[in-house]
Amino acid sequence: MNVMGIIFTNDATLGELTNKRTMASIPFGGRYRHVDFALSNLCAAGVRHVGILSRHSYQSLINHIGDGEEWGLELEEGGLEFLTPYAMSTSHVYRGKLESLNNAMDFLEYGGDDELVVMIDSAVLSNIDLTHVLNSHVASGKDITVVTKAGVANGSKLLDLAIKLDENGEVADMLVDYAAPADYLASMDIFVVNKMWLIKNVQEMIARDKFHMDRDLVLGGWQRGKVSVNVYQFAGLAMYNESIEEYFSNSLSLLEKDVRQDLFYYNHPIYTKVRDRVPTYYGEDAEVENCLVADGCIIDGEVEDSILFRQVTVHEDAEVEHCVVMNDAVIGKGAELKYVILDKNVTVTPGAKLIGTRKNPIIVKRGETV
Amino acid sequence: MYFQKKRCIAMLLAGGQGSRLKVLTEKTAKPAVPFGGKYRIIDFPLSNCVNSGIDTVGILTQYQPLELNEYIGNGQPWGLNKTHSCAQVLPPYERHDKKSGWYKGTANAIYQNIDFVDRFNPDYVVVLSGDHIYKMDYAAMMHYHEEHNASCTIAVRNVPLEEASRFGILNTNPDNSIYEFEEKPAKPKSTNASMGIYCFSWPVLREALLADEEDPNSSNDFGKNIIPNLLNAGHKLMAYPFDGYWKDVGTIDSLWEANMDLLGKDPAFKLWGDERSKISARNSAMPSSYIDTNAKIRNSFVAEGCEVYGKITHSIISVGCTVGEDAVVEDSVVMPGVVIEPGAIVRHAILGENSRICRNAVVGGAFAPGEKKQISVTAKGAVLEANAVLRPGDML
Repeated sequence: MNVMGIIFTNDATLGELTNKRTMASIPFGGRYRHVDFALSNLCAAGVRHVGILSRHSYQSLINHIGDGEEWGLELEEGGLEFLTPYAMSTSHVYRGKLESLNNAMDFLEYGGDDELVVMIDSAVLSNIDLTHVLNSHVASGKDITVVTKAGVANGSKLLDLAIKLDENGEVADMLVDYAAPADYLASMDIFVVNKMWLIKNVQEMIARDKFHMDRDLVLGGWQRGKVSVNVYQFAGLAMYNESIEEYFSNSLSLLEKDVRQDLFYYNHPIYTKVRDRVPTYYGEDAEVENCLVADGCIIDGEVEDSILFRQVTVHEDAEVEHCVVMNDAVIGKGAELKYVILDKNVTVTPGAKLIGTRKNPIIVKRGETV
Repeated sequence: MYFQKKRCIAMLLAGGQGSRLKVLTEKTAKPAVPFGGKYRIIDFPLSNCVNSGIDTVGILTQYQPLELNEYIGNGQPWGLNKTHSCAQVLPPYERHDKKSGWYKGTANAIYQNIDFVDRFNPDYVVVLSGDHIYKMDYAAMMHYHEEHNASCTIAVRNVPLEEASRFGILNTNPDNSIYEFEEKPAKPKSTNASMGIYCFSWPVLREALLADEEDPNSSNDFGKNIIPNLLNAGHKLMAYPFDGYWKDVGTIDSLWEANMDLLGKDPAFKLWGDERSKISARNSAMPSSYIDTNAKIRNSFVAEGCEVYGKITHSIISVGCTVGEDAVVEDSVVMPGVVIEPGAIVRHAILGENSRICRNAVVGGAFAPGEKKQISVTAKGAVLEANAVLRPGDML
């Protein structure tokens, strides 16, 4: 089975964290970026031809992924392609996934012998065995397979696509951009389709000025009886990083062993760009409790219930609690941080005090000094 | 095939058995022995090469090469996989004229690979050992060699006079030119110890290797044969003084000490460095380390992929290790993949890769200041049963 992967990188935003980067390049879990999960899932399923669709702010993403070497995608044939607006057939920035796929038609059409296409968004993180999804798609004989997760819908979380099944496991109802009740399954924004079917349907949709994948193709097609939908339910962990509050609480949930197990080891390793850093050094006065710590840090202060990315320096007498501290931060002597997200390269001056809340963590923008 | 001419290439001697590292090198070549939490010994000379602008490295292997070959792979972690750069593993091979087979000595290993060196037509060849921990700019040494118009330049370090008889000693004139080489002299005349790091002008070395091979009484060794022969033939040999950190990690004690030298606020040997002194290693895809609420880590390095629930003091914990609840690790080197179960106590030890210390077992002991420390060692994959004791200085 020849399979092509497509990763959507900025169809959503995450407050100040997506100011100058795509959803896909948001740092997560100490050493990863969102896109690492999608790429590693594709890589583990043997997908060797991946297109990455971006519309803006993709510099950090290109820098992170490079030639795809870490995910086994630096190939003579197939491999990795960045599909940015100006690299595609039209030069305007697309409005929805269908339009972006239409813009990437060359990539789809010249995809060699690929028969199936897996499409993944970057805001829902999982460690999923996609071969099971692909097999389910083929066995179902349906037009499109939607990967879903039970227990996410709760009547208040806004879902891109929610599906209710009848007692036979067939689709009974579908809702788009709606806070569906708890008996609905939430889409994980992972879809499988036959490539030729996708090409035909994208072209027909665009011809009718329809560009929204969930609303126009899946929901609209199903309502008109034109698109048959296979629903795959994923039993593992699915992390929805769709708001700052979710991002923050999901980050801190990695301090639970089961969550780490499900996200980092469930089916396969998660690969990321290698940064050669020395191991982390804990000084004579370091107090580190309940933390996830990447390589290259130097810790002399107190850090509790926090995530430290690579190369973070915590000076003596600094107190860091319930924080997500991204790469290269320097936290000065005696500083006090609670419920704070420090974006990359932030400097916290000695004695500075920043106190947020669990629901509203303070975000310090990339490169700032506070 | 086209080979770009190189000004300087490196030949890295990585074939030694390292028998003085005992159980640690039973199944692993010495250069592949883990060091400093995420490195292997060979990362130091390899990274030094890259940091010195040397992009072609021949690696001479012989003993237990599988793991070492896998580790070096295509040289990608060190950036040695480009069109005109390489990390070429050179194992012994069979040749039509039978002047081949196992490498008989360090000089013979290079002799058997003269064809490899000739491809790059280098002006200079740097000969290195795969069992030293240090950071050094070989380019600076090469410039020194060139400036003094030498045939061979040997890096030397000053050692205390009372220890000098344990080393190869180079007796020099005031201008650092060498007039005599003495291997482990009973009465040393100077304190310039050879570091086993050589820079040769390739035409001179090539000729010396050919002559050495013709001598049936030679032990085909750089220190014993090549260097004395060059001196006798009237070649200009220079001593290149080096005062940075350098450690031969050929013994259990020195390997343990070199790891301990990484620790402290102002360590004897700094792992941190800028781009020009960065040590690169092949990385494993492991998540960040989890440090539990009850964990206590002081004056220690902990690499990625670890789960720490116990107490760690003055130690090196390598990638992918687990330190269980109420376990104690002090003054120890814990190699990759080790599991220390709850309640176990480890002091003054080197725990080999993937070894397991079961519940409440005790490894090693404490020593009074000034007392000779005896290091306990576990072999790769060894298991110390629950409640068992591995005494100070013992091996498993």
